[in-house]
Amino acid sequence: MGFSDTLLKHIRRNVTVKVSLLLIPPLLFLAIWFYAPFFIVGLYSFDMINIQREIVFKPSLIHYLRVLSWTGAMKIFLRSLYFAGVTVILCLLIGYPVAYYISFKMKKYKDLFIILFIIPFWVSFLLRTYAMMSILDERSFLNVLLTSLKLIDSPIRIMYTDTAVILVMVYDYLVMMVLPLYANLEKLDKTLLEAAYTLGASPVKTFLKITLPLSMPGIMAGFLLVFIPAVGEFVIPELVGGPNNYMVGNLIYEFFMGARHWWIGSALSMLFIVFILSLVITYVRKMGERGLAF
Amino acid sequence: MKGTNLFLKIFTILVFLFLYSPIIVMVVFSFNESKSIGVFTNFSLRWYEKVINNPEVWKALFNSFWVGAVVTIVSLILGLMMAMAVTRYSFSGKSILESLILIPVIIPEIAEALSLLIMYIFLNIPLGPVTVIIGHVAFCISYVTIVMRARMAGYDRSIEEAARTLGANEFQTFFKITLPTLYPAILAAGLLAFTLSFDDLIKTLFTTGPGFKTLPLVVWSSAARGGVSPELNSLSSFALSISFLFAVFRLRVERRLER
Repeated sequence: MGFSDTLLKHIRRNVTVKVSLLLIPPLLFLAIWFYAPFFIVGLYSFDMINIQREIVFKPSLIHYLRVLSWTGAMKIFLRSLYFAGVTVILCLLIGYPVAYYISFKMKKYKDLFIILFIIPFWVSFLLRTYAMMSILDERSFLNVLLTSLKLIDSPIRIMYTDTAVILVMVYDYLVMMVLPLYANLEKLDKTLLEAAYTLGASPVKTFLKITLPLSMPGIMAGFLLVFIPAVGEFVIPELVGGPNNYMVGNLIYEFFMGARHWWIGSALSMLFIVFILSLVITYVRKMGERGLAF
Repeated sequence: MKGTNLFLKIFTILVFLFLYSPIIVMVVFSFNESKSIGVFTNFSLRWYEKVINNPEVWKALFNSFWVGAVVTIVSLILGLMMAMAVTRYSFSGKSILESLILIPVIIPEIAEALSLLIMYIFLNIPLGPVTVIIGHVAFCISYVTIVMRARMAGYDRSIEEAARTLGANEFQTFFKITLPTLYPAILAAGLLAFTLSFDDLIKTLFTTGPGFKTLPLVVWSSAARGGVSPELNSLSSFALSISFLFAVFRLRVERRLER
């Protein structure tokens, strides 16, 4: 019996070895190419890498203090929260009636309409954003149509405004709200509604007391799925916004690529990541582990 | 009640209109003869001719395909290993491991991409197709693991035990039993990984080297430079039809698997 045979036999028997063999390659990959970059950014943020790209063991909070005491950065952070918040609310206001209508009022063509709803989202995120640009543009077909119908006097100048950024975000992320909501409403026990009607509750009361509370998990999942990508958005403000509509993602980009001040950029990134993670952790605590298995 | 229903119906129709009209307008005006993006004059293929005769587009399309293929294969192998470890064995630190898998899905891509770029520069790694592929795999592993784990949940291991009892060794069992049974999970995860890589903009933008462009990068640079133009309309419609065909294929495959 050769050495390799003994080794193979040992591997076969030992679960720990098997698990390690399975886990080491993917974990090593993630550790090097996903987690290590954040470690380096962390070193930068604590001023532990100097201009010559040497590691120096003199941690300092100076860059964090600079970011936190700088009103410009605070303003952009608050603007990102505001943009993402408005986007979530609009997605909910637009998405809820659609999910409700398809789930509760349609009988035959439910699946068809859900697929019809998803089809525009097969188009990649960038192309959807560009498609929105093609109708928001001042010279666009929509503006030509509205002016010729005399509905507006002059073309709507919406590009490079807050409204444009929010509108495109709603367009791009609506599906993230509707799908969890629809899945939630489909699972809802409809006999409860009949019971409420039989007992004399009005449709409005039934909705407010039964449907809405029971669809809260769907709303919360949709909230998280829209809010997180929206608050970290970079492409949309870059394409349809101007410097006055920049969000955190654009600010981080400006520090890394524009000003080349990696220390401040790193401190900003770290603060932003901590914010996102604490948001998700709060959500998981509230909704339980299953909250993430959308 | 009647009024509410009517309202909901009209509202839903308007939302569908909102979803479809930008894409339809973009595609229609890609066939416009004039340079206008607001007035349709005549049907013409001139902008498509320009796109088709642009070697940059073909090169980028080719790059997108081969990068997507490599990313899919690498992240499938790594993701399959991870999913098998998580679904088949219990070990300490499993819940920490599961969070470590989930984090790449949660972190905003811009922070992830810029951090990776900083590390590439810090370590003096030359930027190019390889750094792009590494960047894509780094987030695709998580998606592949999540999809596979969900599909492997109801996996019946008794056939594997039967194979082993009948004298098959570990490797025979894996290649003749495990892999074929996991085929639907592998296919679903692979199609997702390919789509994520094919459509990716941010990671590619920051990890690519001079001259190496994928299709989303070509669209991005011309949209950021010149805004809306009929030529970009036709390039986008061209890219759209590829994503669309791919999505239809994915849907058909998934439907067949569910049966």
